[in-house]
Order: sequence, then structure tokens, then C-alpha cells
Amino acid sequence: MKRKMTGWNLLVLLMLILYSIFSLSPILLAILNSGKTQGEILTNILAFPQNFKFDNYLIAFEKINFLRSFLNTMVVVIVGCTGIVLLSAIAGYKLARVKSKLSGFYYSLFVLSMLIPFHSIMITLVKIANVTNLQGKTLGLGIIYIGLGVPMAIFLYTGFIKSIPPELDEAARIDGCGDLRLFFKIIFPQLKPITATIIITNALWMWNDFLLPLLILPNSKTYTILLSTNMLFGQYGNNDWPAILSVLIMAMLPAIVFYLILQKNILKGISEGALKQ
Amino acid sequence: MKKNNKKLTLFILPALLFYSVFTLAPAIGGFWYSLTNWNGLNKNYDFIGLKNYAAILKDTDFINSITFTLKFVLIMVVLQNILSLALAIAIESRNRSKTLFRTLVFMPNMISMIIGGFMWMFIFTKALPYIAQQLNNAALMDISWIGDPFFSFIAIIIVSLWGGIGYLTIIYLAALQGVDKTLKEAASIDGANAWQVFRNVVIPSIMPAITIGVFVTLNNSFKVFDVVYSLTGGGPGRSTQVIAMNIFAEAYSLNNRYGYASAKSMVLFAIIFVITIVQLKLMRKKEIDG
Amino acid sequence: MKKSILLSALVLFLVFGIVGCGKAPVSEPKKVTLKVFMTFPRFQEQFEAYFEDFKAKELEEKNIDVTIELEMPNSDQAAQILKARLSSNDAPDLFTLHAIADIPSFYEAGYLSDLSSQPFVSDLLENVKDIVTYDGKVVALPMESLAWGYLYNKDIFAKYNLTAPDTIAEMLNVVKVLKENNETPFLLAFQESWIPQLMTALAIGGVVTSENPDFVEKMNAGTASYNDIDQIFDIIDIIMENGTEKPFEVGNAAASAAFAEGKAAMWVQGTWQAQAILDINPNLNIGCAPLPTSDSEDGALINLSVSTSLAVSPTSKNKDVAMDLLNYILDKEASTALFEELKFNPVAKFHDYEVFPWTDEAMSYVALNRGYRDLSLPQAVTAEQAALLQSYYAKTITKAQFIAKVDEVWKNSLGQ
Repeated sequence: MKRKMTGWNLLVLLMLILYSIFSLSPILLAILNSGKTQGEILTNILAFPQNFKFDNYLIAFEKINFLRSFLNTMVVVIVGCTGIVLLSAIAGYKLARVKSKLSGFYYSLFVLSMLIPFHSIMITLVKIANVTNLQGKTLGLGIIYIGLGVPMAIFLYTGFIKSIPPELDEAARIDGCGDLRLFFKIIFPQLKPITATIIITNALWMWNDFLLPLLILPNSKTYTILLSTNMLFGQYGNNDWPAILSVLIMAMLPAIVFYLILQKNILKGISEGALKQ
Repeated sequence: MKKNNKKLTLFILPALLFYSVFTLAPAIGGFWYSLTNWNGLNKNYDFIGLKNYAAILKDTDFINSITFTLKFVLIMVVLQNILSLALAIAIESRNRSKTLFRTLVFMPNMISMIIGGFMWMFIFTKALPYIAQQLNNAALMDISWIGDPFFSFIAIIIVSLWGGIGYLTIIYLAALQGVDKTLKEAASIDGANAWQVFRNVVIPSIMPAITIGVFVTLNNSFKVFDVVYSLTGGGPGRSTQVIAMNIFAEAYSLNNRYGYASAKSMVLFAIIFVITIVQLKLMRKKEIDG
Repeated sequence: MKKSILLSALVLFLVFGIVGCGKAPVSEPKKVTLKVFMTFPRFQEQFEAYFEDFKAKELEEKNIDVTIELEMPNSDQAAQILKARLSSNDAPDLFTLHAIADIPSFYEAGYLSDLSSQPFVSDLLENVKDIVTYDGKVVALPMESLAWGYLYNKDIFAKYNLTAPDTIAEMLNVVKVLKENNETPFLLAFQESWIPQLMTALAIGGVVTSENPDFVEKMNAGTASYNDIDQIFDIIDIIMENGTEKPFEVGNAAASAAFAEGKAAMWVQGTWQAQAILDINPNLNIGCAPLPTSDSEDGALINLSVSTSLAVSPTSKNKDVAMDLLNYILDKEASTALFEELKFNPVAKFHDYEVFPWTDEAMSYVALNRGYRDLSLPQAVTAEQAALLQSYYAKTITKAQFIAKVDEVWKNSLGQ
């Protein structure tokens, strides 16, 4: 594979650059036009704004109640991820180790539900949220995510734990470890890579989910970032593009910053998770 | 064995509890409603057996939405996987710029489709018409990206690809890195050209990744909702109405036939289930044969 | 097994124990929280300010400290959220709904309180009150009321000494005069299907009200057909044959611009669009008249409708305060300024602010008893008519096919 033609090489590079432009164009255009006045957008969409109006961002920051929405979203993500990781790791451990009909049944029960479309469970889920007193609370939303997120995580953990030799368990058991202690002392520390994957995919999902928060959180004080953003569109209508675009940029900023800092871990987590399936 | 099962249940119980309350019970609830004529509002409703399912067979709008979704799924499975694989190969061939391109290609996956949809709306309704005007190109200017059935479909495909390619590219990249280099070199020493190496060495060894890629695209494309919702809302008319959208409209904006909508979502579940099983069986078999 | 039960109980306790607490102690003044669900995101600031006034009033007069949790989703998500809340026993204390489309099903399901004895009812304009009355009870407070026909360009009409026609024959004459003078009679904008649908809305309204008053009941009973009112196609054919070219390429915004520039003399479009047209051409004189459907002026009627209305949930825990807020929406002193600012039409007798000239014109017909209450067609039928009209214009279906399909859709919508 050392015989590389420069022409071919150039073509590949060109293709990558073109795709990167495509990939970034919505974000770049949004940034470019978020600092303009209405008039500037109408006259030239592709030009740089004459005076970049940072005011638009300050207004957006206030309008979506950035700090409060950010904290709300964090509560949901942290509660959800912690629950999913703990419960699924424990469950996945025994599912991987115990080989019985019952174990197979549990496993299929979890895995099957990964194919259920959200719309078919939506209404009943809201009813249950109401009965269990979780409706309207960010904490409650996080708890609901645990129930929705465990199947996928159990699936990943079970697969991963199967690759850890059971001899380790036996050795620890001879040392007199109880099952739960054994799990936390010996097994859990070895699950770091897959745990990272699970946290990343679930955090992304919860961060960007829309329909469930919309149904569960009625009060603007409990809105996640995406909800606050969505509610603003109604107020702006379809016309005030500088305002809309500034809000969009503000809303995606945390995820982008997070990504740029942790991208190596994120990308590694994503690919490992998928290939383990 | 019994003792083991007991312990198993104990360890699974916390997860099972949350799962039962927030996934299983609602799913059973959805199935129950599909056997009733509940309108989503009334406190009273009747059990009507399989009548809803019988009605689905005659529902031309729903059948049209299935055909449209199938068209969408087919195009997405082919385009998304080929483009992702091509990008992954291209990125893999770079040295210093590898990380940079990987970062840029995956970036859209970090963004919610609701936000992405709005940014694309700006491109389709403002930026592209502006560019067409600058170029003074009458054919381009005539395109109504959101108003015309054909171009709406193209727009939906473009935005879906934008949001989905990054994820698959990362998977294919990881798979490509796992391909045995000595095997590739051996093949080229034996006189195989680049295409033959790709066809006979690379493809078989990344087959598991392709299985996953197709699985992920299939599953997501059948459930597609956000993109269509934020771009065209299913219009103009019903020309871009995907299955999830049809169900949504049935339950909330047309006749409030919630029971009927639930039956439709069970059909959607069945379709996804069957296709996934068949696909996994086929692909796994191929992996072993290969 | 005992252990597992114990463990699950523990998990439950932990989870719900944390979530369940947080009730504030009751003290002077009495604290009340109202959940209000409204679909006016455009007017969020106005309503927040209005509610502040209400809070001050309530605290002063009744020593109640009201907290209002206002939820303002976008209109395309509103129906879904509201239904999810109602059906999961989480009804907001007050919520908005569409008077024509929603009241029957919401009432049957038991989600609307009887408001007949509330003070605001006696102030309502009769024709508006009529629309929010169901089963003999007032069940919602009308907020957005409409009185509309088609729009016409008064300047063009004046130029050729034309007046708004009352009958089909007069309409044919208007069309003839306009064409002789190289004016296009009708603006057609079919890209968005709800706009052509307005033709069926007005035509059916006129024909049914004047000649076949129990048509909707008969359709619902399965004993009628659109064949009984096929006369609606008389006026629809005239409009389609005498309209602007390439209507499928024209959306609402483009059509407003075209109408503002005088490209056509008439446009079957509601008064809600008038402001947008004036934004483009402030000097235009816009008129609003009822669409002729027969040889009698009785068939040319103004559509009277109420869209967004406010209802009170029967399960509200603070119904008294909720009712206070409801009545405050039509407060004698405060509401006039609110309705004027939001550019809503008057709904109460004491609403004496100046209205738009086109609303005035429409109301002048209503004063002559030439208005009709918007018909309550199944939503699926309305949606189907919109799509079918597009096909009918494109000549891919015939009149008979149109009728057969609508009959079928209506019949299907009953099957629940």
C-alpha cells in the first residue's frame, strides 16, 4: 500500500475538505448570520457582518435562561447516567455469568424493547409519570430515563463482561468475597471502557432529547436547554433569523465545547460501544 | 442452579423494576389501547378486538406512508453506509489531518436534530435561494426545497445524512484500524490491485461493522420523525409523511383516534422487528461464510 | 424472594421519597398556584404582564397570593401536550382550546367546566357566545373571534364602479367587467392547501346555512351526501376558471405580495391576512365581503367563528381562583386594552376600541343577519377537502370523484 499516486491523494483530500464544509456549513452559516441585522441577512447571506452584534447572544443567553436550563439539563443527565450505569452493570454482570433459561429470558426481555418506537409507549408513560409523582420534575425525568436506558446498557455490559474471564470471580470468591462486594471490587473497575461508552451515548441522548422532556416538564423553571430553545421559536415566529440563530448557537454550545475537549474519549467510546454489539 | 437463578433475579431486580415501570408497562399499555377505540381524551372507551388492525389494511394514507418510508430507508441504508465507508477510508489514508477530519465529520452528531433542522431550514429557505439569485440561475431559483414533494424528499435525505454519517464513519474507522495489515500487504505482493485488496481482504474483515452500520441505519430510518417534523411537517399534502408522522397525526391532529394510532405503532414495531431479525440472521450468516 | 421484595421496596422508597416532598406551609396570605396552558407564544410578554395585574388585584381584594405557572408551547405541539396532560389526570387549571374543533370532544370527555353562571358570560356578544355554547352551557371563554369572507381590492372595484356581489349572477357580471378591463378577477394560491380549502369552507357554509341547515347532522347520521350540496362547485368553478396562473407555485407570502400589488381583484382569504398585505402596500384599501353561492343574497354569508378559547378544568383544586382569573380576562377595565393590543376582534359588549375597516365591513353584513356560525366538520374531512381541491384544479379528479371521496372520509371519521 505504499504506492500512493499524488493525483489520487489530492482527490481524496478534496473530497474530505468538501465533506467537512458540508458538515460544518449549517453551523458556520448560523454563526455568520447570528451577528447580523435583519437587513444584512436580506442583502448578503454569505458576507461577514459589518459589526458583529454580540448583543444578540446576550439576549439569547437571557431569553433561554441559559444557566437555569443548563443546570436542569445537567440534573437530568447526571441522575439518568448514574442510574443507568449502576443498575445495568449489576444486572449485566449476573446475566453474563449465570447461564440458565431464566437468564436467557431476562436478556431477551431487555433486548427486545430496544426496537419499540417511542410513540407507542408515550401516553401510558406520561400517565405513569403522573401516578409516580415524577411528572414536572427534572429529577423525575432523570429517573424515567433510567427505565428507558437500561436495556441498551445491559446489552452492552453483558457482552463486555462475557469477555472477562470468570476465573477472576472464582479467585475472589475463595477469598471470601460476597457477590456484591466482589462485583464492585473486582468487576466494576474493569468495565471502565464500556462504562465510558454508555455514559457518552446516554448523555448525548438525554441532552438532545426533545419529545419526552416536552411531555414531562410543563413549567419553564424546569426546562432543559432544548425545551427553552424550542419555546422561543414560537415567540420569534419564522422571521427574526438573527435572534433565532443566536439562540441556536447558544443552545448547542455546551455540547460542542464538551465535544472539543473530550473528543478523543467520545469518539473512542462511540466506536467501541458499537463494535461490541 | 436454583440458587444461581435467585441471585440473578436479585441482581437484575433494580434494573428490571425501572425497566418494567417505564418501558414494559407503557408498551403493554400501548398494545392494550390498540385493541380499543379510545380517542385519547374520553374516560370511557370500548374494547373492539382486532378491528383497528383490520382498518389499517384499508388505510391508503398509512400504506402510502409505509411506501414512502421504505423508499427513504432504502436510500438511507445505501447512501449512508457507502458514504460513511468512503469517508472512513479517506480519513484512514491521511496522516496528520486524520484527527482533524474525524472531528469535523462527527461534529453534527453532537447536535440535536431539532436544532439541526432549524439551521437547515435557514439554508433551504434563505441561503440557497440567495445563492441561486446571485448565480442568476433560473432553474435553481425555481426550486422550492420545502414546498415541492420531490425536493422536500431530497432535503430530508440531505439533512438525515448530515446528522447520521458521522456516527457510522467513526464505526467504520475503528473497524478499518482493526484490519490485519500483514494480510493486506500479502495480498498486494501476490499482485492484487487496490480494488481487489479492498474487495477480498478489507470488506470481509469489516463485515461485523457493516452489519452494525446497516442495523443502525435501518432502525433509525424506520423511526425517522424529528427531521421530517422540523423540515416539512409531512407536507406538502401528505407527500413526505413518514410512518411515525402518520401515527402522530392520527393520534393528535386528525381524528384523535388514539387506539387506532396505537395499532399503527404496533405495526411499525412489527415491521422493525421482522426486518431487524431477518437482517441480523442474513448478515451473521454472511460473516461466518466469509 | 423476601429479600428481593425488601430491596424493591427500598428502591421505591428512595426514589419517591426524594421526589415527594417540598410542599410549602400555609400562611397569610393564602398561597395558590395556578397552572395555565396557553397557545399564544407570540404574546407571552403581554399575557405575563396581564397576569401580574391579576395577581396584584387578587392579593389586594382577596388576600390570595397567586403564583401562575404559564406554559406556552408552540401551536403545532400544543394539542399533543394538552391531550397527554388531560388524559394522565394532570390537567392545567386553565387551558386554551379551539372552539369549533375541540369543544365537542373535550366536553364529551368531561374536561370542561360549566361556565354559564360566570359574570363574564353576560358581557359576551351574542354571536360569539353562541359559538362557545355546547349542550346548552357556556364552556369556554372566547378569546380570538373571527368574522370573515373573501378579501377584495376596493381600489380596483371603485375604478370600474363595482360593488361586492351578492349572487352568482352578480359575481359573473363583476368577473366580466374586470376581464374586459384586463384585470384578473381572482388570486389563486394553492401551494399551501389550507388556502384553497377556504373556498370550500365559505361555499359550504353559505349553501348549507341557507338551503340545507341540517346537512351536518345528516352527514353525521350517515343519511346525506355531498351530492346534496354540489351547488358549492358553481362558485368554486367560477373562481378557478378566472384566477391567476400557476397557483401551485404561490404560497401565502407570495400571494399576499401579489394581492398588495393589485395583481388580482379578489382573493378567497380571511381577514387575518389583511395586516400582512398592508405591510407590503400600506395604501391599499382592503374590503371583506361574503362569498355568493346562489341566486339569492341569503347564500352569501360572513363566517363567524371563534378559534382560541379559554376553559377551566373541572378538576382544578383552586377553582375559585381559576374562575377569578378567567373573569379577569374579560375584566371591564383591563381587558379592552389587552384585546386592542393583541389586535383581537371584540368579544364583549363593552369592547369599544376601533377595529379594522375590513372587520367593520364584515360586521355590517352580520348586522343584517347575514352571518353564519362556522360549521363543525370532522377535521379529517377538512384536511381531505384541502387536498382534493388541489387535485380538482389540476383536473386529476372529477367533481363526482371529489364528492365520493369526501363522503367516504366523513363516513370513516364516524367509525369510532
